[in-house]
Amino acid sequence: MSSARLALRLTRDKSDTLLLLAASLMVLAPHFAHLPLWISALACATLLWRAAITWLGKRMPPTWLLVPIAVAAMAGVYRSYHTLLGREVGVAMLVLLLAFKLLEMHARRDLFVVTFLSFFVLLTNFLYSQSMPTALWTVLTLLVLLTAQQSFQYTSLVPTLAHRLRITLKVGALAAPLALLLFVAFPRIQGPLWGLPGDANSARSGLNDSMAPGTLSSLAQSDDIAFRVRFAGAVPAQQQLYWRSIVLGDYDGRTWTRVPRKRGLQRLEVAIHARGAPVRYETTMEPSNTRWLALLELAAPDLSVPGFRLRDSDEMEQFTTEPVTHRVRYDAAAYLDYTLQAGESPQRMMHWLELPAGFNPRTLALAQRLRAATPADAPVQQLSNAVLTRFRTQDYRYTLEPPLTGANAVDDFLFTTRAGFCEHYAGAYVVLMRAMGVPARVVTGYQGGERNPVDGYLTVRQSDAHAWAEIWSQQGGWQRVDPTAAVAPERVERNLARALPRPAPFGLAPLLDLQNNPDSWLAQLRFAYAALNNSWNQWVLDYNPDRQRSFLEELSSMFGHWRTALGAVLVAVLLAVLRWQRARRPVDALEALYAAFCRQQLRHGYGRAPSEGPRSYAARLRTMPASTEKHAAMEQFLHLYGMLKYGAGGTESRSASLATLTTLLPLCR
Amino acid sequence: MAGVLHALYKKGRDQWLFQLRDSEPGTVTLTMRRVFIVPTRAGMMFAVLLLVMLVGALNYNLGLGFALTFFAGACAVADMVLTARNLALLQLAPGRAPPVFAGEEAQFDLYLRNRSRRDRYAVWLGFQADGEPRQAVDVVAGGDSAVSLSAPARQRGWLVAPRVRLVTRFPLGLFKAWSYWQPDARVLVYPAPEWPAVALPSSGAASEDGHGTVGLDNFAGIRPYQAGDPMRHLAWRQIARHDPALGGQLVTKHFEGGAVAELALDFAALPLQMDLEQKLSRMTGWVMEAEQRALPYRFRLAQHDYGPAHGEAHRAACLQALALFGLDGQR
Repeated sequence: MSSARLALRLTRDKSDTLLLLAASLMVLAPHFAHLPLWISALACATLLWRAAITWLGKRMPPTWLLVPIAVAAMAGVYRSYHTLLGREVGVAMLVLLLAFKLLEMHARRDLFVVTFLSFFVLLTNFLYSQSMPTALWTVLTLLVLLTAQQSFQYTSLVPTLAHRLRITLKVGALAAPLALLLFVAFPRIQGPLWGLPGDANSARSGLNDSMAPGTLSSLAQSDDIAFRVRFAGAVPAQQQLYWRSIVLGDYDGRTWTRVPRKRGLQRLEVAIHARGAPVRYETTMEPSNTRWLALLELAAPDLSVPGFRLRDSDEMEQFTTEPVTHRVRYDAAAYLDYTLQAGESPQRMMHWLELPAGFNPRTLALAQRLRAATPADAPVQQLSNAVLTRFRTQDYRYTLEPPLTGANAVDDFLFTTRAGFCEHYAGAYVVLMRAMGVPARVVTGYQGGERNPVDGYLTVRQSDAHAWAEIWSQQGGWQRVDPTAAVAPERVERNLARALPRPAPFGLAPLLDLQNNPDSWLAQLRFAYAALNNSWNQWVLDYNPDRQRSFLEELSSMFGHWRTALGAVLVAVLLAVLRWQRARRPVDALEALYAAFCRQQLRHGYGRAPSEGPRSYAARLRTMPASTEKHAAMEQFLHLYGMLKYGAGGTESRSASLATLTTLLPLCR
Repeated sequence: MAGVLHALYKKGRDQWLFQLRDSEPGTVTLTMRRVFIVPTRAGMMFAVLLLVMLVGALNYNLGLGFALTFFAGACAVADMVLTARNLALLQLAPGRAPPVFAGEEAQFDLYLRNRSRRDRYAVWLGFQADGEPRQAVDVVAGGDSAVSLSAPARQRGWLVAPRVRLVTRFPLGLFKAWSYWQPDARVLVYPAPEWPAVALPSSGAASEDGHGTVGLDNFAGIRPYQAGDPMRHLAWRQIARHDPALGGQLVTKHFEGGAVAELALDFAALPLQMDLEQKLSRMTGWVMEAEQRALPYRFRLAQHDYGPAHGEAHRAACLQALALFGLDGQR
């Protein structure tokens, strides 16, 4: 081997290895977002080291140097995570393993180990993000990775990188239909196959079954999606979109909690009078890691959530027996017009009047004054309106960042700070109502949602979390009152994003306005992206057994339609007849070959005239613009055919000639 | 019994499954039927990886995990198709196979022709008996490539080219496609020249005529160079005086006696106690020696009686006669 070729080979190994390093970096990069800084830095340093070795043509580090580094890295992982088990730790170790394996790559076998490990690390990235950008990045990474794997397969002739990428694209194009078919039709099982490690569902936000000042306002900063809804008919007005989740009745002066269910207590007969037809909708709920469902008030009782058993309470809450750890889709119905527990005996409502002793004296005094100012037989609405009027007229503010309150939280809020979020208003309202002898309770859930005009889905985010109140009267039963609406009616009429003036840095306020104006192009773009993202969620991420079943059923019902079925049958019959015709044709191999040849030429506009023999046909074909090889092949084909057909005889046997004709045929294409 | 079963199994495998056949004349096309494919060790590892990925996607309910797993699996299937197509419809033809002496390596030139519109990369070739092929070749679309495979020539006579195995793992290395081809080519193997060489038979007919040894000692002047004159007989002194570039011409020393005296290489004259192969070796050595010294020689072996003459054709005829002596049915 000449030294020039040796140098060429070395540069080729170099470029192949650098390509593999690039692919590995692309595989690792998304993980840097959630790994401890030192692991990311170590992985990058390792890749750089390997790149330098390759670039300078140095020797690989010896094993005695690598083993201590690897052991030290494992110790570091243990220090960072305090365990060596679990998902996060596993990912961290896989990332380090991939980086180190690149330093210990000697044989072709190791190359496969690196690429296969890369595939797996790519998969683990989906534990953190399954968004469309992630998918796009994964596709790009796969392209580079497969190209790197392919590059190592060449021997002497190596095409350019662009050409190799094209070959990879060809592999991908061949694979895509099969992958799609598998994705749609491969039987899905609802996971998990075994217990997930404890940290599998960490870092999820959602409503809690208690409410202290600050609980909801912290949630309101989160842009995470709580659930998406598609209404079967028209979307109800924004003011009617109250998604009921948890009812809080116990108050300890600071924190509202659920009323605990006493053991052995008889369930109440809850009287519901619903009017009108129910509103039907489909909810796609993001994993909340809690058991609470959020349902449009007032949920029809015939609810079922696939894969879960449901419970409900006297307070019209619905919850699952197990926490919801994956996305679920369910159908529900709601009565917007209803009466709840009207005519109940007041004794049974006594516990909705309890207040802790010794807290909020000024509030209690205020309640006394308001009660005294109202006739004793006035309806509860009048008392409620007195409170709401106070909120509306006395300079109360609605803010996401309320000032801190002391031990008497409601006193501080009502008389000092006068600034709060929905939880403050709902809490203070219920305290005041109870102090005036009206049974009242706090309801938490979500209010509103953003309707996407592109696909019609309503998106409810964690930032739409809301707290409101219910008061009870014997005539009207439980009635919803939203004290926040008294202060910030736009919060309820539109949605939170527009209710709160957001500070816009660097004079970007016009841009924000642009975003908030539903008719602006920016908002349109945002809606289109959200719609795309939603269908991505519905069809890619959340293609679960139910969706698969319904989709396949839809497909089969499409084919079940008599016209479609008839069409399919007709096509099948036609194909069968064609096949049969073909099979019936004289089995003379020579004539079949000749016919195939003539059909080929016909495609180029040189069909054989019925009167033409092979010789005159050949003469005409010579005028056809084609490569020399093709002309030679056609010439030979027709010559051989003529000899066989007209018995001129040849040196080869007939079967050998037929074989030659068969091999010539594709060359005449 | 087991031996019979094994033989049956081998026969079934080779004839029915791998369709090993005798040499086919002319160009052979590797039809899809002749291309076999199995996953490589890496391919099996990949299958295990896919399974692990599927379980991971299932367990964590990763929609994109399913997509990635299925796409990777489909890529493997695409790789299988492309690997098989990397061999299929390749045309093979034998090329030149020059004669060699026994003990040397016979060289078989083979041509790969690619009449399709796609390039074929990394096709490994080797004789089936040699195990994994060690020579790689690329054939661009519409192009030809030549490879030369060598096989040891142990015995004189015709050496039929061993069966060739073509292997490819392109493009992703997850599958190995292979095919067999028995090229229609053979190499004539001459007997190995005797070593150490024995002097040419000096006491030929010439000495009986009283002309002394068949020698080159009777220098008779110079004459113009004729094609076929041995280099060592060039009259360098004269040539140097008249530079051919300046109109001078090549001249050859002319000897007398050589033409008259006849160098006869007669198989029958060899000592009786020598064994056949030894005799053939000695004759071969003599032919080579005489050719090297550009001595015309007569060659007698059984029914063959050539010469006296020298030159390429004469030498080839003599060596062929030696190579095929006593091997019936081989021409």
